[in-house]
Amino acid sequence: MSARPRSTGRRPSRGRGVSVWLIALLVALVATIQLRSEAEVQRSLVGTDATALAFLIDDLHQANDSLDKEKADLTSLRTRLQSGQSGAADQVLNSEADRLRAIEGLIPVHGPGVVIEIDASGLTALDLQDTLNNLAAGGAEAIDVNGHRLVMGVPVYQTSGGVAIDGVTVSPPWTITVIGDPNRLGLIADLMAQQLRADRRVRQATYRIETDVVIRSVISEKPFVYAVPS
Amino acid sequence: MSARHAASLALLAVVALATGFVLAGQIKAQLLTPSNQVARYQALVRSVQELEATNADSRRQIAALRGQIDALESEAAARSAETQALRNQVSDLRAHAGLVAVHGPGVKVDLRNGFPGPDTGGQTGYLINFQDVQDVVNLLFAQGAEGVAVNDRRITPLTAFSGSAGEIVIDQGPPQSSPIRIIAVGDRNRMVAALDDPSELPGIRARQIQFQLHMTFEGSPNLSLPPYDSSLQITHVSPA
Repeated sequence: MSARPRSTGRRPSRGRGVSVWLIALLVALVATIQLRSEAEVQRSLVGTDATALAFLIDDLHQANDSLDKEKADLTSLRTRLQSGQSGAADQVLNSEADRLRAIEGLIPVHGPGVVIEIDASGLTALDLQDTLNNLAAGGAEAIDVNGHRLVMGVPVYQTSGGVAIDGVTVSPPWTITVIGDPNRLGLIADLMAQQLRADRRVRQATYRIETDVVIRSVISEKPFVYAVPS
Repeated sequence: MSARHAASLALLAVVALATGFVLAGQIKAQLLTPSNQVARYQALVRSVQELEATNADSRRQIAALRGQIDALESEAAARSAETQALRNQVSDLRAHAGLVAVHGPGVKVDLRNGFPGPDTGGQTGYLINFQDVQDVVNLLFAQGAEGVAVNDRRITPLTAFSGSAGEIVIDQGPPQSSPIRIIAVGDRNRMVAALDDPSELPGIRARQIQFQLHMTFEGSPNLSLPPYDSSLQITHVSPA
């Protein structure tokens, strides 16, 4: 009999305690979720600003357009091969071989583009690599520097005698002949020429847009020694 | 429990809950008030994510189409010796252009962001950027690489690197960021020796000291490179 009053006296107190804990837990949960979601957004804002994102969107649109063109070309190629017409495969393979030889710099090529002249002393292999990369990013499809054909993979490096392309020292002035979309390349060349003129090592940097330039230099084919096609 | 107790508990619960919501809402409002920058930012991020998804999907389709074309060419080559000879030439050219998966000895190079220093202001030297990747790739090619891939994106004769701080765009791919893994198949010993040479990659080495930028490499007897899965179009060049 004596336990009962104690028991009835403790129940409201325990219940109130549990309720308060539950409420506190709920408040903490809501606040944490809210704050964490805000923190996530804040964290992602630190990574890239809105302007950079806008540029990224533009780049991705361009990239996706290029991929769409590639898909259309490949689909048309597949249709030609599926047609089973006599000689269709040979035509496709011949044209693919010519295209790849041009891409790999194995044959002389021509087309619209720009010619850039840089007269300087002290420019390094890194300067030339950056220049070539800028032009490639601007849509260059074929590049020649002082009669040496260049594609990604052709060694450009620094030697005691200056900048070497595939083992041959290439002394300034450099004449860089580029084939590609003349409008895009013209913009790139203009920006590059402005930057180069601000460089104390550069005596002169000019460019001209041409409707047709010829690149006669070629890269000699090098068979794989280590790589095995899968 | 009396009705009065129950009512007071319920009131307490409602007040506490309301306080929680008001507090959280207030914090949120203060973060957003300067402008609707977060909403705008989220819209931009959504656009990027959608475009990246389209990009990845297109690359998958391109890889599938190239596989189908290869199979059709193989069928045609089986019917004619002349076609077979042509196909062999094209296969070799494709391999050199990075359109075919290859494997062989080589090196793996890992690049990771460092840490911003206390007195570096707005400098982003602690981030791996596209020039770092470009420099490593150029060095590897100069030292006997026959094929290179960056985060599984194969490098081709027309490859270009671009991007802004901490963001590396290769050709038409979506941007990559640290960590970056560069794999090269080729003359393993020459490539390892060049990566070990303190006079090479001066920009990265200086920032290894200043920002603890991370660069490690190791040779391997057998590494694999995936085929290129993007556009390799030339629309302005014609054979002379």
